[in-house]
Amino acid sequence: MKVYMKQIKMIAWFTENGVLTPLKFQIQGSDNEIVTIRVDNIVQRGEEKLAGNRMMVYRCQSEIDGVEKVYELKYEVGTCKWYLYKM
Amino acid sequence: MDERIIFHIDANSAFLSWSAVNALQHGATVDYREIPSIVGGNQATRHGIVLAKSIPAKKYGIQTGEPVIDARRKCPGLVVLPPEYFVYMKCSSAMVDIAKDYSDTIQLFSIDEMFIDYTGMEKLLGDPVGAAHQLKDRIKNELGFTVSVGISSNKLLAKMASDLKKPDAVTTLFKDEIPSKMWGLGVRDLYMVGQATEAKLKRMGICTIGDLANTEIELLKYIFKSWGEVLWCYANGIEDSPVKPDGAIPYIKGIGNSCTIHFDVEDKDIAHKVLLSLVETVGMRLRNAKFCCRLVQVSIKTNELKSYSHQHKFFVPTDCTNAIYKEACRLFDVMWKGEPIRHLGVRVSELCGNDFVQLSMLENSFEKQRLVDLAVDDIRMKYGNHSVFRAGFLHSRLAPMQGGIVEDFPIMTSIL
Repeated sequence: MKVYMKQIKMIAWFTENGVLTPLKFQIQGSDNEIVTIRVDNIVQRGEEKLAGNRMMVYRCQSEIDGVEKVYELKYEVGTCKWYLYKM
Repeated sequence: MDERIIFHIDANSAFLSWSAVNALQHGATVDYREIPSIVGGNQATRHGIVLAKSIPAKKYGIQTGEPVIDARRKCPGLVVLPPEYFVYMKCSSAMVDIAKDYSDTIQLFSIDEMFIDYTGMEKLLGDPVGAAHQLKDRIKNELGFTVSVGISSNKLLAKMASDLKKPDAVTTLFKDEIPSKMWGLGVRDLYMVGQATEAKLKRMGICTIGDLANTEIELLKYIFKSWGEVLWCYANGIEDSPVKPDGAIPYIKGIGNSCTIHFDVEDKDIAHKVLLSLVETVGMRLRNAKFCCRLVQVSIKTNELKSYSHQHKFFVPTDCTNAIYKEACRLFDVMWKGEPIRHLGVRVSELCGNDFVQLSMLENSFEKQRLVDLAVDDIRMKYGNHSVFRAGFLHSRLAPMQGGIVEDFPIMTSIL
């Protein structure tokens, strides 16, 4: 997997207990084309506090262009930003 | 009372490793701790000194405090990172949060150091060395940076201990270990011994901490006065100040702020403005700490790095921004010889409580202005430092409040 750390547009849902789950996101491709990706499966979820900065980390799986791909999403709690971390 | 157990936690090359971890979390592909890199001020605004360095950078002979230009000359491929105070504050608070699981008595000693009073906690959390290892590893795993922990029976020895082994280590330095672990070190390694004291001691034939500890205390007192006794006590590991948890106002001798201006000041009015921006910060800190000051000092550093200063005593203690500003300008006018100025500083000292103040019939009354100061302080506290400022700073290219960093964080102190 390659590190991208690219900001993305995200639709996610919260449970009443505050558990956050990403649903689908949009990302700008290399040719400025906007790609929408549905999060098919969350393999693993975790939290990191590196440098005191809270981030939720999700290892996800989706079918992109007919290929099953594994990637990681990050949600930065302090800034409410979503990132495509690695793919 | 049984012997106390004090931990001293020191983040290893704090600013650099914090910046490095933050960068890694935000997608950096290199770990700046593993390549020659420094955290350095902005050369364009002439704050270009090395604030922290990585271990590989150290191998090139780069030293903290030297100009960034010199550092680049020593190591051409050097990576220079800008300081990120908000990141540092976050790291520091996260470190304290973890430490809070080990004791309720924690003193943040500077942004990257703290003391923990572990006395009595061994019944709950077990042996101090084990707990210190656990604490160190938790910081490493959760926050991503390494710390050195020193364990001893007082703050001085704990601080000396954490310096003995770096990075990522736990070291003990109890009273019985002083001769073997501390006395062999050079006097300069002793807390509070700087260049000047070191030179004086060397002239007396005192080269190691052991030499100092075994010198007659009367001789040291004769040469260094009361300071000699402190030195002797420190060399023998005698120190008994308590771990002062947050909120306890430390013993402050004076409050000062200074700044390097991003251009050479050659005009009196601009210099006065810079002084005002510094006095604004100093005054606010003074009132916040609930003090009045009796002494004002202004210092100038010229573009040739020559420094001089002037001070004046007030007849009546004050905490009023305008009163301090007026005096600072007068001092400045008296001493300034007209050379280009690089750096200005204002410091107030001889502090006393601000609850009862002797009024004077002979001096101007600043009573109304003090009320304005308090109102301005309140607004700034609530809406930020730049929410209200003097019109004189509009379009002046100068910040209306200068000195210090984003927040009042304990940066460095010599008082344990």
